[in-house]
Amino acid sequence: MDTVRDAISLVSYFVLPLILVGFPLYGVIKRVPVYESFVEGAKDGFQVAVRIIPYLVAILFAIAMFRASGAMEALTRALDPVLGLIGFPAELLPMAIIRSLSGSGSAALVVDMINQYGEDSILVKMAAVMYGSSETTFYVIAVYFGAVGIRKTRHAVPAGLIADAAAMVIAVWTVRLLFG
Amino acid sequence: MLNYIWAGLIVSSFLFALGYDIRDIHTDRYRNGEALPLALSFPQSYDPALRRVTVEIGVDSAGYAGFYGVSGGSAKRYTGYLLQSRAGIQIRFEKASAFPEPLATIAKVSRSRDEELQGTLTGPAPAAGAATANMGVVFEPVRFVKLNAIAGAALDFAKTAAEIALGLIGVLALFLGLLKIAEDAGIVFALVKLVRPILRPLFPEIPPDHPALGMIALNLTATLFGLGNAATPFGIKAMEELQTLNGSEDTATNSMVMLLAINTASLQLVPPVLLLALMGTQINTLIFPILTTTVLGLIVAIAAAKLLGRLPGYRASDPNRLPQA
Repeated sequence: MDTVRDAISLVSYFVLPLILVGFPLYGVIKRVPVYESFVEGAKDGFQVAVRIIPYLVAILFAIAMFRASGAMEALTRALDPVLGLIGFPAELLPMAIIRSLSGSGSAALVVDMINQYGEDSILVKMAAVMYGSSETTFYVIAVYFGAVGIRKTRHAVPAGLIADAAAMVIAVWTVRLLFG
Repeated sequence: MLNYIWAGLIVSSFLFALGYDIRDIHTDRYRNGEALPLALSFPQSYDPALRRVTVEIGVDSAGYAGFYGVSGGSAKRYTGYLLQSRAGIQIRFEKASAFPEPLATIAKVSRSRDEELQGTLTGPAPAAGAATANMGVVFEPVRFVKLNAIAGAALDFAKTAAEIALGLIGVLALFLGLLKIAEDAGIVFALVKLVRPILRPLFPEIPPDHPALGMIALNLTATLFGLGNAATPFGIKAMEELQTLNGSEDTATNSMVMLLAINTASLQLVPPVLLLALMGTQINTLIFPILTTTVLGLIVAIAAAKLLGRLPGYRASDPNRLPQA
């Protein structure tokens, strides 16, 4: 396991430099006007960033309001009995809900739980796996769809949320299987 | 769906905030208008003629707990000063003192221009030259804390959102520039040929030689190696390529939903750097469960995107659906 891990982390050191150096180098070999091409492509950086602002504002402010309202506490209390049935610890519910909504919020929750339970507690391990095994669905939707002006997202939200919910439950189960 | 979730977040945050605030008013959580007993002592003895008097403030734990109806808490000592005027004596606690709840919340409302907790002293003024005095303090009334909080959060995060987006400009420009070179040099095209057998079944709508497949492959590779900075521009570029195949301006195609679902599941071999920083060496034991979870999550994501796309409602809204025969 350790050698596999070492190999993976070694490769990941090279991926970024390979892209940064390899693309222009290959371009030169292929006689592409690399500088001109680069500038031509990079021009879009500003437009794309500006284009996603309204989408990002819409998503982030709504989520921030929801978190500030204390709705999370009420939701945790309401869902507690249901979660007991599938063996999902109530302490992890805020994490499970926040994970799809806010990346910084869920990172803060991991920090919080480390302070509260210690790094080697099983709850913190579960929270860390939840954090590490999933992306912030609503952020991804805002950025990716915002960049091309997609407003009607069709089944993107339900698909993302189903996958998130599954990942949260699977995280709890795998950690319990390995460390429980 | 997003419309309802979005409106739901906003409306429910208002309702919850209002509910909590009404409960606080009902239980008189902040004891508005009533005096919290304080034990004051004056290091330089009290002088009624001075405008500003340094003071040590003692809060008795039982008195505090009884006054606010909270449990436990040890006795607290704070430093601060008195501001005396004809209108009365103001007390200010030193800036950034650590207060227990609910005083911490009161400190956010009843504060001076210099962000100190301030209140008005009540009771008989201490005698000149006194070393100690027992007085009460009345803070500014605290009402509708949560309603204020949600409004504040909305404004804060509107700003944060713009900062995040503008912060992306440089990295976006860098990788979009590199991608343009990759396109012109034929790297993307070569990549398309390489990944076609794997990605074709997931994205049947994309023509076999379309550069979108190459961009998707770059996006997934970057994610796989934990390069979030690079993955986002590649993903955006992939979306732009998919948009060229989209018959509609503002409606997501099945391929877009699939790309998004794969990205939210975020299959990565290396755990996020932040988690590494937080968990330290513990991370070694977590690599395997993280990998298992993310692979299973990815399978669920792909299945969900595929199956939901077959539902009649989503099928009807597909911008690339064939005209009815």
